[in-house]
Amino acid sequence: MANSRIIIVGGGLAGLMAAIKSAELGMAVDLFSIVPVKRSHSVCAQGGINAAKNTKGEGDSTFKHFDDTIYGGDFLANQPPVKAMCDAAPGIIDLLDRMGVMFNRTPEGLLDFRRFGGTLYNRTAFAGATTGQQLLYALDEQVRRFEADGKVTKYEGWEFLSAVLDGNRRCHGICAMDLRSMQLKTFAADAVIIATGGNGSIFGKSTNSVVCTGSAQSALYQQGAVYANGEFIQVHPTAIPGEDKLRLMSESARGEGGRVWTVRDGKPWYFLEEWYPKYGNLVPRDIATRAIHKVVYELGLGLDGKAAVYLDVSHIPVETLNRKLGGILEIYEKFVGVDPRKHPMKVFPGMHYTMGGLWIDYDQMTNLPGLFAAGEAEYQYHGANRLGANSLVSCIYGGMVAGRTAAAYSKNNAKSAEAVSSTVFEQELKRQQELNDALLKGQGGENPFHIWKEMGELMTEHCTVVRNNKGLRKADEQLVTLLERSRRMNLSDRSSWANQTLAFCRELTNMLQLARVIARGAEARNESRGAHYKPDFPDRDDANWMKTTKAVFAPDADEPVLSYEAVDASLIQPRPRKYDIAA
Amino acid sequence: MSTASAAVSTSATDHSFLLRKLHSLSGVVPVGAFLVQHIYAQVLALKGPDAYNAHVAFLVSIPFLVAVETLFIFGPILFHGGYGIYIWYRGESNVTDYPWVGNWLYFWQRVSGIIAFVYIGYHLWEQRFTGEHLASHPELAYGKVSHALQNPLILAFYAVGMIAACFHFGYGLWLFGCKWGITMGPRSQKISGVLCGSVGAGLCAAGLVSMMSIYIHP
Amino acid sequence: MKTIEVQVKRQLTPDGESYWEEFSLPYRPNMNLIAVLQEIAAAPTTKQGKASTPITYESNCLEEVCGACTMLVNGRSRQACTALVDKLEQPIRVEPMSKFPVIRDLQVNRQRLFNDLKRVKAWIPIDGSYDLGPGPRMSQKTQEAAYPFSHCISCGNCLEVCPQYNDETGFVGAAVIGQVRLLNSHPTGKMNAHERLMALTGPGGVHECGYAQNCVKACPKEIPLTEAISQVGRDVVIESVLDFLRG
Repeated sequence: MANSRIIIVGGGLAGLMAAIKSAELGMAVDLFSIVPVKRSHSVCAQGGINAAKNTKGEGDSTFKHFDDTIYGGDFLANQPPVKAMCDAAPGIIDLLDRMGVMFNRTPEGLLDFRRFGGTLYNRTAFAGATTGQQLLYALDEQVRRFEADGKVTKYEGWEFLSAVLDGNRRCHGICAMDLRSMQLKTFAADAVIIATGGNGSIFGKSTNSVVCTGSAQSALYQQGAVYANGEFIQVHPTAIPGEDKLRLMSESARGEGGRVWTVRDGKPWYFLEEWYPKYGNLVPRDIATRAIHKVVYELGLGLDGKAAVYLDVSHIPVETLNRKLGGILEIYEKFVGVDPRKHPMKVFPGMHYTMGGLWIDYDQMTNLPGLFAAGEAEYQYHGANRLGANSLVSCIYGGMVAGRTAAAYSKNNAKSAEAVSSTVFEQELKRQQELNDALLKGQGGENPFHIWKEMGELMTEHCTVVRNNKGLRKADEQLVTLLERSRRMNLSDRSSWANQTLAFCRELTNMLQLARVIARGAEARNESRGAHYKPDFPDRDDANWMKTTKAVFAPDADEPVLSYEAVDASLIQPRPRKYDIAA
Repeated sequence: MSTASAAVSTSATDHSFLLRKLHSLSGVVPVGAFLVQHIYAQVLALKGPDAYNAHVAFLVSIPFLVAVETLFIFGPILFHGGYGIYIWYRGESNVTDYPWVGNWLYFWQRVSGIIAFVYIGYHLWEQRFTGEHLASHPELAYGKVSHALQNPLILAFYAVGMIAACFHFGYGLWLFGCKWGITMGPRSQKISGVLCGSVGAGLCAAGLVSMMSIYIHP
Repeated sequence: MKTIEVQVKRQLTPDGESYWEEFSLPYRPNMNLIAVLQEIAAAPTTKQGKASTPITYESNCLEEVCGACTMLVNGRSRQACTALVDKLEQPIRVEPMSKFPVIRDLQVNRQRLFNDLKRVKAWIPIDGSYDLGPGPRMSQKTQEAAYPFSHCISCGNCLEVCPQYNDETGFVGAAVIGQVRLLNSHPTGKMNAHERLMALTGPGGVHECGYAQNCVKACPKEIPLTEAISQVGRDVVIESVLDFLRG
């Protein structure tokens, strides 16, 4: 038999790592990405990557990293794979170091580690303030090397539309769209790895990149893949609202004395200092997030009626600011055009990370045989909230495991894609072509961009920081209405060359379906855990809710059906999660 | 404007690296050195026609003069100028879109190169290859050039050519340091910029003053 | 009513004719060019009231780290995400980059840049992705000197503004030379410095640089590209002389 072929969808850290592993194991790899892989969203990660190498004599260990991760995730993550990831992390750092990542160094020339949120140890390796970028480039270079050797074929500028499944729901390839010619094509493979990142676009504006729509995950969910823990969405308290997107403002601004306020009765109101006199502006991340949310949505005191409050460092001497916060203040100045040394910054909590994702087993395989997932697109490593600097390590580790297990699966399942009846490919192609044709011919009066905007506002209001069942119910009902409206979309561009509107409409329908998974999952989960906070159910409820949400698409009812699976907590006994003691 | 679509394949027969490096080198030695020597000779004119003619007499006494001239002067100038025009033709100046200092210098380096090339060509034709045969009559050198300069158009052309040649040499010297990696950082490049600028300006001043002297004292 | 006036150079297909369209949007403060393009996408009617189509362009992170949204804004090559409307002269003229083939509207094909990275073997040939122990030690000084070069986002601004970057010269451009500088300074990367340097003595190598220094001016990441060109220029000469003498 010829080389087994593996398709990888997504060229971020997880996808590239999976490509390296599979290629190394002798697989022929086809790598699909909407954007040139070097432009993937992984570049945006700033902070660093965790690995307990205990280089500072603090007594850190991979088990403590594991414990911090489980605790940070509020005991919702299955523990064995998280432990395996934390055990592998030091080796991953070494690998990245060997690949040439310009990590910061100690005077002796060893890797330097710094402290990050959610831990007491210096365990975060970093390359300046652009760690994600450096890591992605290192993997990109390795994949380029495999590409030059003919072991990896890149399909950049192609968008995944669906998996090709046989009657037993076994995956034999994908159907993808060339974003230039708009042609659809099916590609056969022995295994498919989905590494398509998060779904920030569902919330309209987020800190995510443009391509982070969750469209691929949603398409697979609608084809029968289980989507897990959709309701867990991490929100960052201080994002810079922009007309086009949200950008992170590091928490160090508050750490260095920044004050949060809004205008009430024409005067500044330092609500964090008033509400939390003990911690003031340094309350933990989730508390700050909820307070700002309350000021804007419950009290209606957003700046100029908009969703924003001030984060003010203008009272701090300019010299101090430049020394300690120079880099991040420059980002603000660059994108907002206002000097934060002189004027207060406008910030608001922003959707940041997708903890949930495609359900996978410990081998990264979804419930559809032959279909694997890695990175932010799956749900395995973060539980109910992600520990800072764990995203990069989880992406790379997930990619490593998936690359290996997908290769093993390909070898063990001798029934190669060529042996599969060509009709399954033809049928899938036809189905996708019909969806495109319908969109291109649609004559309804609905503007897809307006639907997207409404969905984003709806999801941001009801499904991010504070959730209540009434709002969630309303959100789901409105999502159904939006889905209805999306069937009457009228495309302002009906051309068949580089038609970004068509691609966007395909994504939009998928986003709406996945939005319902988020809203329904959140509505059902009557507790507060990690990033999921319900004032009506303020406590974690391990007795009833220490379980994974599994959403399955019911095609006839056109809605998600939820079921639950117990969390594997075999290694660490659950305990209450309280950061405010340490804060 | 042309677009770049495909990566250029590596070809074993490509000599652009060698030629480009020779071009760069030839601009300093021998062409640049020849310019310096030439201006030095011209400065001698300030001491009077006899000093100038004596120097010319020394020059024409060099054994195998024609061979030396061809190998170290005419050949290199032709190569430097000819390949320079090829380089100029392959680049696409965009100084109107990006009017930055370095870009202006890039532009003027090409313009000055062309002017200097034409000027040197004319100068050689007029002073070396036509009129009195200086190799056999070096004592006529001063008179010959002085006579030529009496035409105001020629005088102006010589002045422009002198400025162009000196600018081209001074900036070329600076470029040589940058591109051969002798001066790599901003500080060393700034210092070499002052030095090379001084060399260019100094040569230019010496050239113009002595030229005026020859013009005034026919 | 205050408006934002935009002129966009459009082209429907790679072989199509280009033409200009004008759009007029109601003014809002703090918009960047991306927000303007998004706004046009939602309501693509020209200033003259003609129904048009959304403008095709490349973008992703919108934070100036992915390098996707490079275009000419008022004649200058830059990222659209950092082009703040409040700081731009109106009407804002938007065009695709001129050094790369247009796919549609503002989207161009920059594949040549990635091919050139392949040509200079811009990677460290590791033995394998297995756990083979720690990487080589590196001094803080080396790391600090190399770090700026690892910031290159492959946006292509340095190529667009370079008078030497075209089909005629085949010049690889500053971005690629910067990567050679980066990889050659890495303790393991050094082992293959020879191959990378020799690749840069081929067609379009470092010698094609005209040192106009536009690259440094245009680089949104402020990478010291001319320093890389000087350094690599020297290394290439030394390496090729040694190579000749060895042979």
